Amino acid sequence: MIKNKFFIIFSIFLFQTFFTSIGSVEPDEILKNDAQELRARNISKNIRCMICQNQSIDESEAPLAKDLRILIRNKIRNGKTDKEIYVFLTDRYGDFILLKPSFKLNTFALWLLPVFFLLIGLYVIFRQNKLSK
Amino acid sequence: MKNYFLKIPFVFFSIILLIFFYLLIIERDPKEIPSALLNKKVQKFETKSLFNNQKFVSSQEFGESVVLVNFFATWCKPCRDEHKYIKKFSEEKNLKIIGINYKDSPEKAIEWLKEIGNPYSNVAIDRKGKIAIDWGVYGIPETFIVDSKSTIKFRYVGPITSKVYKKFNLLIKEIKND
Repeated sequence: MIKNKFFIIFSIFLFQTFFTSIGSVEPDEILKNDAQELRARNISKNIRCMICQNQSIDESEAPLAKDLRILIRNKIRNGKTDKEIYVFLTDRYGDFILLKPSFKLNTFALWLLPVFFLLIGLYVIFRQNKLSK
Repeated sequence: MKNYFLKIPFVFFSIILLIFFYLLIIERDPKEIPSALLNKKVQKFETKSLFNNQKFVSSQEFGESVVLVNFFATWCKPCRDEHKYIKKFSEEKNLKIIGINYKDSPEKAIEWLKEIGNPYSNVAIDRKGKIAIDWGVYGIPETFIVDSKSTIKFRYVGPITSKVYKKFNLLIKEIKND
């Protein structure tokens, strides 16, 4: 009985994972060249939907997300590199459009502060332990 | 010595709390995303004009005076709401206003402007939303202030209200005096 329940829950989980990974790319958007399509999907997964904000344009069904997916595919078809596409988008929408912000002078604190706080925490715990002995 | 080390996390926590509190009380909209195009030149583009089947050439529209650029569509309810303020800019402030008709039917747009009044000196048709992407637009209505050197000085996302109208007037005054 428990095994059956586990099997059902596991199947639902698998089913859900499979369908959410498909994203919102519509059939007419998909490029014929598989390697180019893969590049487009990888870029789209790192571009924030400016309307939904917590989704990538690959997952979003917003019209602007679709426009950007098509734009990325057109640029790939025209021989643009990934870097050129990212530059095109950040020039217009800023670094906010990147789901994973690049390591720059103005994002320095964003990347390093968690490590800094972790080190301070570890140091305090270490010293406390030492002093209490 | 023992107490000293216990104080470090407390001090850091207090600093973070103070920063959060400061961000909470200052006047800002956390949803507002600053435009990446501020202080950059307007991109050159050509498209069809909504009027008289003419061509819209951006280089002919910018560079002489302060220009207001308003992205609008007939299907956008907030665009209708803010239209009275766009008209006010044109009628009372004598400002040059360029409209960008976003993903809309030109016929509907012409009818719409006939019905509620046309404050625009020219309207560019952006049928596929490509011009909007070049301007970093993500949700219409959006309004930009472009100075007399074709530089984007301000962007506002959302419908213009009486409060925003006042803010725009102050900014336009400042930009004109620069």
